[in-house]
Amino acid sequence: MVLDPMTSSGTPAITTTGLSKRFGHRNAVDGLTITIPSGAIAGFVGPNGAGKTTTIRMLLGLVRPSAGGATILGRPLSDPKSYLPRVGALVDAPALYPSLSGRTNLEVLAQLSGLPRSRVADVLESVELTDRAKDPAGRYSHGMKQRLGLAMALLPDPELLIVDEPASGLDPLGIIQLRDLLRRLRDQGKTIFMSSHLLGELERVADWLVVLNQGRSLFCGPASGLLVEGANLEATFLGMLRGDR
Amino acid sequence: MRALRSELLKFRRWSVLAGAGVMIAASAGISYLTFHQITSGATGRELTELIAAFPTTLGLLAVIGQARSLIIVVTLIMVTANVAAEWSQGTLRNLLIREPRRLRLLMGKMAALLLFVTVSGLLTLLVSAALVIGAARSQGISTAAWTSAEAARASLGFAFNEVLCLIGISILGMLIAVLTRSTGAAVGVALAYVVVPEGLVAMVWLDASKWLPVRAFNYLPGSIMPAGIGPTPPQGYGAALILALVWMAGFAAVSAVVFRRHDVVA
Repeated sequence: MVLDPMTSSGTPAITTTGLSKRFGHRNAVDGLTITIPSGAIAGFVGPNGAGKTTTIRMLLGLVRPSAGGATILGRPLSDPKSYLPRVGALVDAPALYPSLSGRTNLEVLAQLSGLPRSRVADVLESVELTDRAKDPAGRYSHGMKQRLGLAMALLPDPELLIVDEPASGLDPLGIIQLRDLLRRLRDQGKTIFMSSHLLGELERVADWLVVLNQGRSLFCGPASGLLVEGANLEATFLGMLRGDR
Repeated sequence: MRALRSELLKFRRWSVLAGAGVMIAASAGISYLTFHQITSGATGRELTELIAAFPTTLGLLAVIGQARSLIIVVTLIMVTANVAAEWSQGTLRNLLIREPRRLRLLMGKMAALLLFVTVSGLLTLLVSAALVIGAARSQGISTAAWTSAEAARASLGFAFNEVLCLIGISILGMLIAVLTRSTGAAVGVALAYVVVPEGLVAMVWLDASKWLPVRAFNYLPGSIMPAGIGPTPPQGYGAALILALVWMAGFAAVSAVVFRRHDVVA
């Protein structure tokens, strides 16, 4: 797959320009300038504390940038209500109301977004939780909670899916199903921006890669541009952190 | 409206229903014990005013009003814990992604909570009143004064002011939750606030304590109570009402500013 940040719609899914976030004296994200093309699975890689989650939170309007800006689905970061209805997200571990059923957890968000109840049934089916939908979410296994979190992200049938460690806690079968789901979504023309520590998994699915370290972008481009000559992502990533590239 | 309807779905949680259940059961229990103390011939300085008010049109309100402190505390805990839990559980980020207009989200959430608090507060008063009236009738005590037209007017006034008081308490709970952003800290601060600063000021400078928020809210239903049971607003009902509304507006404004601007990192 050949990717160009400027797609058929003429608009990349995400563009950040000098995006920065400072917490006290610490720069969590430092002048980040990246582009994510529409219709791609973009992997977001970096060590713990590199600023991945902070970047994702800024893109979702949860955290205000200290400097810089971004455009998401052609809309400015400063106006999240203009693009968030078209974005689905899973940030960190899934946050659930443990005493409410999986279905009601989804209904809370569907109601808030003005989505029909039928959408809840659809996403429960897509993450294979229909059978356990009436159980309290607090009784779900870690993997099931993760799948419910993914269902929440898929609820608005998003054009852009932003997911933070979506494979965390999933068993091997769950990871394979997630991979298939992500590919299916991409084939439907959706963009997926996904942070993950599972480099082997990213290598399999990502068309585009962003490598982040200490809040700065070390690489942003097609995965094929980073993984040259049969090198694997793990070795390349470690080399980048050491400064070999 | 979406935020309100979404919030109403969350009331299916047992913890929310348990809070209301505790409030209703405990208040009814306190009301019945007060009734029992009066009718069993107990004496004591703290009962003098109650015994005097008992056969009057305000007798029923005087009895069920004894549980008001408990209602205030339970309401404060329920609202504070409910709002702060969105941060502690991390669910606030889900909500804000689906409704990025933060003030709209907060208003919807608080509208649902105020509806819940109003319904459970009124239900508490009704259950307590029914229990005391039933107990009185079973013992052959006349309840004619309590069910007179004058008593009904007083009861309506009391219910209105009790709801106003609970709205004020709820808005205070929202402010504490928005500032602390943690269930444990929010409930701790809320309880500590009621007991420590307001209690201390009342002990060392009684005259100043009449301007404090929880007292101002409490004066509203207290103004309907017989003198001596109260708490009767020393500044007069009108001034107490304005003071309570100013506190509510202030708490709501600070909550809105903080909620709108604060980074969500939980």
